[in-house]
Amino acid sequence: MTAPTAPTVSTVSLRGYTVVRARGVSFLLHRRSAWAALGLLVALAATAVASLCLGESTVAPGEVLKVVFGQPSPHELVVGEFRLPRVVVGLLVGTALGLAGALIQTVARNPLASPDVVGVSWGATAAVVGLLAYGVVGSTGQVPYAAVAGGLVAGLLVYLLAWRRGLHAQRFVLIGIGISVALSSLTSVFLTKGDGFQAQAAKVWMTGSLNGSGYDQAGWLAWVLLASVPVALWAARAQRSISFDDATAVGLGLRLNRIRLGMALLGVVLASCAAGAAGPVDFVALMAPQIAVRLARSAQIPLLCSALTGALVVVLADLLARRLLAPTELPVGVVTGLVGAPYLMWLLIRSRRGGS
Amino acid sequence: MPADAESVDTKSVDTESARAASTGTVDRGSGHRLEARELTLAYEARTVAEKLSLRIPDGRVTVIVGPNACGKSTLLRALGRLLKPARGAVLLDGEELARVPTKQIARRIGLLPQSPSAPEGIAVADLVARGRQPHQSWWQQWSAEDEAAVAEAMERTSTAELAERGVDELSGGQRQRVWIAMALAQGTDILLLDEPTTFLDIAHQVEVLDLVRRLNVERGRTVVAVLHDLNQAARYADHLVAMREGRIVAQGPPAEVVTAELVREVFGLESVVVPDPVTGTPLVVPGAPWTATTDA
Repeated sequence: MTAPTAPTVSTVSLRGYTVVRARGVSFLLHRRSAWAALGLLVALAATAVASLCLGESTVAPGEVLKVVFGQPSPHELVVGEFRLPRVVVGLLVGTALGLAGALIQTVARNPLASPDVVGVSWGATAAVVGLLAYGVVGSTGQVPYAAVAGGLVAGLLVYLLAWRRGLHAQRFVLIGIGISVALSSLTSVFLTKGDGFQAQAAKVWMTGSLNGSGYDQAGWLAWVLLASVPVALWAARAQRSISFDDATAVGLGLRLNRIRLGMALLGVVLASCAAGAAGPVDFVALMAPQIAVRLARSAQIPLLCSALTGALVVVLADLLARRLLAPTELPVGVVTGLVGAPYLMWLLIRSRRGGS
Repeated sequence: MPADAESVDTKSVDTESARAASTGTVDRGSGHRLEARELTLAYEARTVAEKLSLRIPDGRVTVIVGPNACGKSTLLRALGRLLKPARGAVLLDGEELARVPTKQIARRIGLLPQSPSAPEGIAVADLVARGRQPHQSWWQQWSAEDEAAVAEAMERTSTAELAERGVDELSGGQRQRVWIAMALAQGTDILLLDEPTTFLDIAHQVEVLDLVRRLNVERGRTVVAVLHDLNQAARYADHLVAMREGRIVAQGPPAEVVTAELVREVFGLESVVVPDPVTGTPLVVPGAPWTATTDA
């Protein structure tokens, strides 16, 4: 038997991390995630300003910034009253969808899981279309509440059916897909049976649109996002071990079921709220985490980058939706679908090639 | 700060083995920090084991053997709180495991499951570093102590030179050493290993088992391993536990336990048991293989 040897190395180089240590406090910073977040923030600001500049009348960026920072400007009405609320709502909806997608994909350990897939978006859709088509909700002001309620009910239904002594990732996704199919059929029934005129309004809502969005949608969505910050910070820490297999994660002291439930619940709430504000904007929650993880090259889905990517995608898509066929304005969901689907396919093909 | 209070607590509980390790002498088998009492283990409706009791000797290598589906892995899962017993209890330092917060258990018991999976593209050092999770908190993500523990774990498992490599690119043997390094970095006195040599060729099997033995002797770690190979179990175990159909058939030092009768009773196999020419431990040689003449 060899004699005990004292370890000679006492430092470890953690590739890609910067260690910050002071007075018993220490943080690990994933450098590329930080740079990616910074880059996304700059791109988001630029896109938002561009969106405020462009429209039926073009406004110079300097004038736009004046309006944003509350200085007097001749463009207050166009930029401040028409364009700004729309950009703000798009930003909040995108952030919520990006974060929701990241949380749900982390829990499901599956890049193809997202609120659109696991029934939340279709729950919101079925509720809104049903209530609109039968004239239960008359005003658009009540639509967000119906969407949130529908999304939550669908999400909880998926949970209850998937929960068997713990939440199993595969079962969660499969049952979610099943519920989605059932709810989309239900939505079709509502559309054909309901009042014709109302059904038309419901169809526009179903594609996901920021048309006519205002601060009444932005306010409560902002509060929900603010309230989810502490949960997201806690989740980011747990992500370091939740990305292992179940046994290893529990062995590392993770309360797996509680953390999964918490993360998935927050994901469902955020996705429902986003659907409530703008209708189901497809592909964003599915796409944003996958773009973010490739930008940051991290071992787990980066939550902040994913939220910023979601915001960037929605704001950019809405700009395109407004300007592509101007003066006709497309719903933002059409553009995210058109751009998102091929891009995701390209990413999947590229990563498959890179891995082999 | 509650996290600190807990870690101080754990250190005071941590008894013979740690002191023994620091003085270089290992005091073996003086207690039983981990113990199963009248366990009934079941998956859904299927009962795997009933009224099973087992005391794990401290500072020793305990190996559990038995035929497929005898409940050996299930028992290990229960010892590592991965499976909640239907009845009975697992005791850790006299406390019922189900009542101890899982993070505190993670500071005392490290476990390596049968087929662990790592996040895609993770680097070796990053993986081993995650073994420190139970000692960390939101505001203490990478202390000097964490770094020292990870460095030592990688040194001991000879994985330091792999630090920057991706876990995906490693060979089976290297990967298993990395996983053991992670369990080691966790800094627990007790290690549970579920078939750590499966999928490895014979050279890597020996390498991994030698490593486990070294950790036990040099650091006084208590090891509980499930092994498939009876001869390897006899070579590396201080305490051998033979199971069949959810019951413990025999336990004790391999030299006393492994006999032709036991092999027949546990595995239903006719064999001759001879002394291992290298170690002198019992070596099980199965009966003559089938040939046309013996059949006729």
